[in-house]
Amino acid sequence: MTCVELQESLAEVEDGTTPEQRAHLRTCPACSALVNDLNVIVAAAGGLQEADEPSPRVWNSIEIALRREGLIRPQRTTGSLAHTLFTGWTGRWLVSAAAMLLVAAGVLIHDRMQTNTVSERTAFSTPIPNPSDLNDNDLMQEIAVNAPTMRAAYEANLQQVNESIRDAQAMVNESPNDEDARRSLLDAYHQKSLLFELAMDRSLP
Amino acid sequence: MRCSTTTKLYQRCQGDERSGSLGDRVMVKERATKLAAIGAIVASTLVAQSRAEYHFAVGTKAGVSVSNPYGSISVKPSSDNRVVVNAVLHSDKVEVDRHQTGNRVDIQSHLLEGADATSGRVDYELEVPPDASVTLHCSDGTLHAERLHGDVSLEGAGAVVDVRDVSDGHVHVKTMNGTVTLSNIQNGHVEVDSLSGNVTLNGVTGPLVQVVSTSGRINYVGDFGNSGEYRLTSHSGDIDASIPEWTSADVSARSVRGEVHDDVPLQPKAHTWFPLDKGRAFAGTVGRVAVSSTVILRTFSGKIHLSKRSEKQ
Repeated sequence: MTCVELQESLAEVEDGTTPEQRAHLRTCPACSALVNDLNVIVAAAGGLQEADEPSPRVWNSIEIALRREGLIRPQRTTGSLAHTLFTGWTGRWLVSAAAMLLVAAGVLIHDRMQTNTVSERTAFSTPIPNPSDLNDNDLMQEIAVNAPTMRAAYEANLQQVNESIRDAQAMVNESPNDEDARRSLLDAYHQKSLLFELAMDRSLP
Repeated sequence: MRCSTTTKLYQRCQGDERSGSLGDRVMVKERATKLAAIGAIVASTLVAQSRAEYHFAVGTKAGVSVSNPYGSISVKPSSDNRVVVNAVLHSDKVEVDRHQTGNRVDIQSHLLEGADATSGRVDYELEVPPDASVTLHCSDGTLHAERLHGDVSLEGAGAVVDVRDVSDGHVHVKTMNGTVTLSNIQNGHVEVDSLSGNVTLNGVTGPLVQVVSTSGRINYVGDFGNSGEYRLTSHSGDIDASIPEWTSADVSARSVRGEVHDDVPLQPKAHTWFPLDKGRAFAGTVGRVAVSSTVILRTFSGKIHLSKRSEKQ
C-alpha cells in the first residue's frame, strides 16, 4: 500500500487499522504521524459541547443542499437535519475531511521540518506522500453538482495550487534548511485548504 | 401603470402603422411587439422584486453576520446602537432569515425550491454600530465595508471585496478569484488569502499585514507604517510595492525563479540567511532603522518591484 492509497482508504475505514494499513503505518513515519493527528482531531470533535453547535445558517444551508439532491423532501424541519445528516450521507464530509487532511498534512510537514535534524529531513523527504492529489476528484464533483458555472475557475485554481505545492516541495527537497521554502510549502497547503473551504461554502449557500 | 404605458406605446405604434407602406408597417409592428415584450419582462421583474427592512437593537461591540449566496452586501456605520438591514429580494424564491441572540445578529438568504443565481439574488445594505464585528459571506457578489472600528471578516469564492477606512479592528479576507481592494486600513491585523484574484492595498498599515496569493498580483501602495510586519507572498503572481520617501522599513525581497527590481536606495544588510543572488533577491533598510517595519516580499516565479514615489507627507 502506498501513502496515497492509505490516505484514500482513511475515509472508508473508521479506525484506520486494516492489516494493509497497519503494515504501511509501521514503515511510514509520515503517514503514521498523520493518522495520529487525525485521531486527535476525532477525539477532540467527540468532546464538543452543545454550545459549539453550528449556527442556524449551517443547518439551513445543509437543508437546501439535501433538498437539491433529492435526499429529503421539501419541508422546513431544521431540527431533524442533524439526524438526517449523520445517517448515510458522506460525500460532503469527505471533502471536509480532505480539507482537514490538507491542513493536518501541512502542519505536520511544517512542524517536522522545524524540529528534525538535517539528516532526518533528508530521510523524510523521500517517503512523503503527495497530498496535492488528495480528493481533488471529490472537490470537482461537488463543484460540478453545486456550482457548475464556477467549475472552470475551480479547476484552474486547483491546478495552480497543486503546481505551487509541487514547486514548494521541490524547493524544500533541494534546500531543507531554507525557511522561505518551508514557509512556501505551508502557504501552498493553506491555499489548497482554502480552496476546499470556499468550495464547501459555495455548495452550501 | 407600467403595463398601461406599454399598451399606449403599442397603440401609438399601431396608429403610425396606418399611414406607412407595407414594409414600414411590418417593421413598426415587429418593433411594437418587441417593446411590448420588453415592457412585460421589466414589469414582471419589478413586480417580483421586493424590499424588506429589519431593525435590531444591539449593545456595544455587537456581532453581525450576513450570508448571501447570490448578491452583494454593503456595510456602513450607523449613528446609534442599531443594526438596520435593507434587503432587495429579486424574487419570491428567496427569503431573508433573521436571528438575534443577545448582542449577535445573523442574517441569511434562504434559498427556496428552484432558486438559482438570478432568482435567489438578494442585495443587502446594512448599517451597523461602528464598533461592531462584521462577518460577510457571498459567492460571487460584491462585499463592501467602510468606516468601521470592529473586526471585519469577508469571504467568498468569486466575491469582489472592497474595504475602506477601517481602523482598530482586524480585517480578514478569503477569496478564490475575486479582486480585493483595501484602502486606508489602520491599526489592526490584516490578513488576505486569495488564490488568483488581484489584491490591492492602498494606505494599509498595522502590526501585521499579510497577503498570501497563488497566482494573483499583489499591489501595495503605502508607507509600511512603523514597527509592523508586512508579508506579501505569491507563487506566480507579481508583487509591486510603491512607497513614499519618508518610509522606514527593513525590506527583504526574493523571487526563486522570477526577477526582483528596486528603485529605492537601500542600506544593504551585512548578513542575510538566504543568498542575495543578483536580480533574484535584495535586502536592506530604507529610512530610519529605529522605527522601521519588517517587510518581506516573496514569490516563486513572479516579479517583485519596489519603487519610490514622490509624495508630500
